[in-house]
Amino acid sequence: MPKKDLPMSLHGEDRFNIMLALVGFLQRRGSVSLEEASLHFDLDKKYLRKLVTSLNEARASVGGFEQWFFFIDVDELESNGNLMLVENLVIDKSPKLSNRQASAIAAGLNYLSTLPMFATDADLIQLQGLLSDGTHRGGNPMIAIRPGSPEAGAELLRTAIIGQNKISCEYMNQKGERANRIIEPLRLDPRPEGWYLRGYCPVNLELRNFRLDRMRGIQILTDKLGEEALKINEIDDALYLADSTDLTVTVEVEPEAYRLVSEFVTLSEPTDSTNGKIRADIKIGHLPNLGRLVAKFGGSAKVISPAEARLAVKNYALAAIGQTPEPEIDQALTAGHSKMGIVD
Amino acid sequence: MDANTWQPAKSDKSERLLQLTCALIFAERGLTKAELFASIPAYLEAQRAGTSEESLNRMFERDKSDLRTTGIQIFTPSIMDEPDDIPYRIADDTFVWPQSTTLNSKQLQLLTLAAQVWSKASLQSDATQALVRLRALGIEAAATDLIGYAPRIRTHEPSFPALTAAIDQMIEVSFSYRKVDGSVSKRRVQPWSLNNIDGQWMLQCFDLDAGEVRNFLLKRIISRVETVLSRGEPIYFPEPSKDDIDAANRSLQDHVSGQVCELRIKRDTSAWFHFHLDEEPAHADSTISFNYLDLELLAEELREFAAEIEILKPKQLAVIIRNGFEKVIADHA
Repeated sequence: MPKKDLPMSLHGEDRFNIMLALVGFLQRRGSVSLEEASLHFDLDKKYLRKLVTSLNEARASVGGFEQWFFFIDVDELESNGNLMLVENLVIDKSPKLSNRQASAIAAGLNYLSTLPMFATDADLIQLQGLLSDGTHRGGNPMIAIRPGSPEAGAELLRTAIIGQNKISCEYMNQKGERANRIIEPLRLDPRPEGWYLRGYCPVNLELRNFRLDRMRGIQILTDKLGEEALKINEIDDALYLADSTDLTVTVEVEPEAYRLVSEFVTLSEPTDSTNGKIRADIKIGHLPNLGRLVAKFGGSAKVISPAEARLAVKNYALAAIGQTPEPEIDQALTAGHSKMGIVD
Repeated sequence: MDANTWQPAKSDKSERLLQLTCALIFAERGLTKAELFASIPAYLEAQRAGTSEESLNRMFERDKSDLRTTGIQIFTPSIMDEPDDIPYRIADDTFVWPQSTTLNSKQLQLLTLAAQVWSKASLQSDATQALVRLRALGIEAAATDLIGYAPRIRTHEPSFPALTAAIDQMIEVSFSYRKVDGSVSKRRVQPWSLNNIDGQWMLQCFDLDAGEVRNFLLKRIISRVETVLSRGEPIYFPEPSKDDIDAANRSLQDHVSGQVCELRIKRDTSAWFHFHLDEEPAHADSTISFNYLDLELLAEELREFAAEIEILKPKQLAVIIRNGFEKVIADHA
């Protein structure tokens, strides 16, 4: 499990929440080593020590008396490295989930339950029941998720990932070229817009993303993953990683097409005067792909510059309705630009 | 301490929220605002540093709202007293888990995976806080075979956080909505829930002007989501009943199941791959049919395959797809 659960900079509410949880945890467990607590909450030991200081200093003057609420034994921590809750006047249980928190987890569980390997998982079903009982809202989650049909081949790929086996398949790349590929599969990324396999390509010698809906005839090979693939232990969530050779394209999008730019800019709520239309720069590895990306929105997205990018979009749309494309402005930029972008 | 030498402590919000929570739990009968201002060290320090009463009040309101967001319900037991005399209390059930709460280590791991679904999306903070609380229950996650998966949800729509908050607080909101035909209208709604269908976020709500339950696609909300105010206060609405929600879901399902799309796919094209036609011997005639939610969304999805599919029905779909391409050509002329 990647150690990425908690962001480096925590908000006040997050830190407060961790303090409550720590008290609840220690109340339940009595004495726990700093080491264990650090692993359990996935938090730095230094960070936990600061929490201890904050908890030991928590006080208020109630009824004219200065009242301290907790005491975690500092000597025990310094001498033996143990967190021991000696005094706790207020919180004898860990706080239950808020509606928002329960809804976020419930929605995540709902999403998992739509994936083929979890569909009939008894533990998952029990958790879904628990979370709907645990909220005030009962059977009405704030956020419900019902994605489309899971991709074929997912279970096969998962078996290969767990067994650390290479796979072979027929793959159609973004240019429409078909080839038999060997892929060293590392991780499956189910996304609402489609499933991706993140894997090492032994031909291109790098991590690539493959769309499951462009694969067929998947076979698990007896060959195990190579050294280079095994070295990759962290995979960024972002599917697109900018490359210095990428072309910068300025686009104008309506809210209906924000999806096109959301990996590149932070979107905020529109003001009424602009009707939500915004301009943003996006990066494109392979210019002919731009046509497909922009034209699908049917007019809600528009390329402003450069000229060759505008032409690429226009030509894609012309070809799509069976008309003759216009000659390209700069052959070098389009045909000669070999970089495929991150999605193979 | 001498007023001239006193320095305000580095203000730490987490410590202030902890002081506030503990003081309210400790004083079982609750504490009035004046009592809180006189007993919480952080508020005392702020007053000593010369913070005006107005900004102190603002700080308190913000703290209350932040606590509510994390699920600590602060309430006033009586509405009869004068505002300043009302004691604030913390709801008794804030720290009570349902009786059945026992988790095994695989379940904790499933919950971790469920929280990570929101990584970098709108609810990441709520999901992470939930996970911390679940870990407080003391279960250890065991190594299982859940590796190899990184399911993620995306929330591209900037209205998502505002709508989540409004649903949570059950307050009426308004926004401008652009229909497929381009017409824009202001909608005033009681937001019920957000649903993700085929990767699209949809708001289920009671439309106050239409007088009935409606679904709105978040991507077509083109304004800021505003809280509807009455004499400066938000308007709270009652929780929708289970029957109302069931009826709304049924009506949406009926709507979807009544809309059928039928396509013929060219063999060995990317569309052929996309719809997995190799694995479906039943589709030997190269046609598929499925239900859809919204014609414009379907057109968006299918434009990618425009040259590789023949639309058998609905006929209007072919027109929408073509019109979209023609607009793109005109926009880039």
